[in-house]
Amino acid sequence: MIVLTTILQILIFPGFLFASFIGLLLAGIDRKVLARMQHRIGPPIIQPMYDFFKLCGKETIVPAAANRHVYMLAPWASLCSLIVMCLFIPVGGLTFFSGNADLIIIIYLLTIPAVCLIIGGSSSGSPYAAVGISREMVTMIAYELPLIIVFLAIARVVGRGELVFSIKTVAEYQIANGALVSHIALIPAAIAFLLIIPAEVGTQPFDTAEAETEICEGPLVEYSGKPLALFKLNSSLKMFIMSALFTTLFIGVVYTGNVIADVVIFVAICCLVTIICMTLVHAVTARLKIEHLFKFYWTVVAGIALVSLILVWAGL
Amino acid sequence: MSVLSKIIADSASKSPWIYHINTGSCNGCDIELVAVLTPRYDAERFGFKLTGSPRHADIVVVSGPITTQSEERLKRTLEQVPEPKCVVSLGSCPQSGNVFKGSYSIEGPLEKYVHVDVTVAGCTPKPEAVIEGLYKAAGILKKKREAMKK
Ligand code: SF4
Repeated sequence: MIVLTTILQILIFPGFLFASFIGLLLAGIDRKVLARMQHRIGPPIIQPMYDFFKLCGKETIVPAAANRHVYMLAPWASLCSLIVMCLFIPVGGLTFFSGNADLIIIIYLLTIPAVCLIIGGSSSGSPYAAVGISREMVTMIAYELPLIIVFLAIARVVGRGELVFSIKTVAEYQIANGALVSHIALIPAAIAFLLIIPAEVGTQPFDTAEAETEICEGPLVEYSGKPLALFKLNSSLKMFIMSALFTTLFIGVVYTGNVIADVVIFVAICCLVTIICMTLVHAVTARLKIEHLFKFYWTVVAGIALVSLILVWAGL
Repeated sequence: MSVLSKIIADSASKSPWIYHINTGSCNGCDIELVAVLTPRYDAERFGFKLTGSPRHADIVVVSGPITTQSEERLKRTLEQVPEPKCVVSLGSCPQSGNVFKGSYSIEGPLEKYVHVDVTVAGCTPKPEAVIEGLYKAAGILKKKREAMKK
């Protein structure tokens, strides 16, 4: 029975089906809102789903220079890690997996999709991919530092003086003391986290690694058909996971008593976070160079996060 | 299973990604193609998207009269596009050679190299005509996808 429910959780809710659906929906909303901001009509909201199914129906070409197994398995590995991450996030207050240190697990799991992109890209043997993966690596190093500082600040606050890296404790703390964004010391951390989301997902202006007008989508340049569909799905999933993570860590779950209403409110907040930190930023900025991106994260964002950490340690 | 293949065939016509090759065009047609994607004409409402790599493309848009220099690149690029794919010739140049016809360095027309699905004539074609041509190509993509299954 436990095995069966676990399988259902992985495949349907909150795993593969639910997360993919919401992720693709968020990506569609992102594109639609962006279009409206630019005075366009924009694609239908379910456009990313059309894209996904279309790519599934395309021929898959494996380049002669590629390492076939690595090339085909990289998107699957990335998808698996993202689905595992979905199980750690309490969607609408429903926790599925929980542990004492799930925030640390999430830090590790967050790097896997980027690493898979790097492995997949490098196995394709294209020079564009080589440029793309080197940029992807730099991006990863750039946002990882502020992200860890943010997590440290949160862990200190919810542990009341000790470091507790548990999402469950975060949720309990928020029920008792209100949302963490309203905690003065954590406001800079929330801003830093909002700035990290676009780099993690790879949207403009931090999509330097996949710059399609410049290096032809970098690591994805040789991908076609189903593996490409999976990579596109993965980036939508990342969109959902990062906004859900922000909601869980800083806003908390709104309990109305009805599970479905809870989930809907949770998704609505995720949607709002996506629009604020991805669509708005995308609409008003141009792509950064990789060295500017790195500098921005290690000075501005890490600085903001550090302010938060110092305030927390000072006992505010 | 058939429901899934129906969804995939429907999606094929609703998410056509464009790859654009310039084979020595005067740049007039290229600018009009970009104009199609601007807020005024907004081809993205039909799902069109300009891609950077031929591997991601569904519709290959060829502009220009195919010069000797670009001939080899054109052939190689067309081979790299995964099935189902459509070829659209943009402007009069790939269709007939236009004002460049008879030049020592022109290898066209495009029909010599590949089956052209949609031809948009004009020098340069209006953005409305380009959108119509691309939209027709998207419909052809769906038929090709259905034929691929059988
Ligand atoms: S058709 Fe006319 S505008 Fe287009 S590339 Fe040829 S000469 Fe230039």
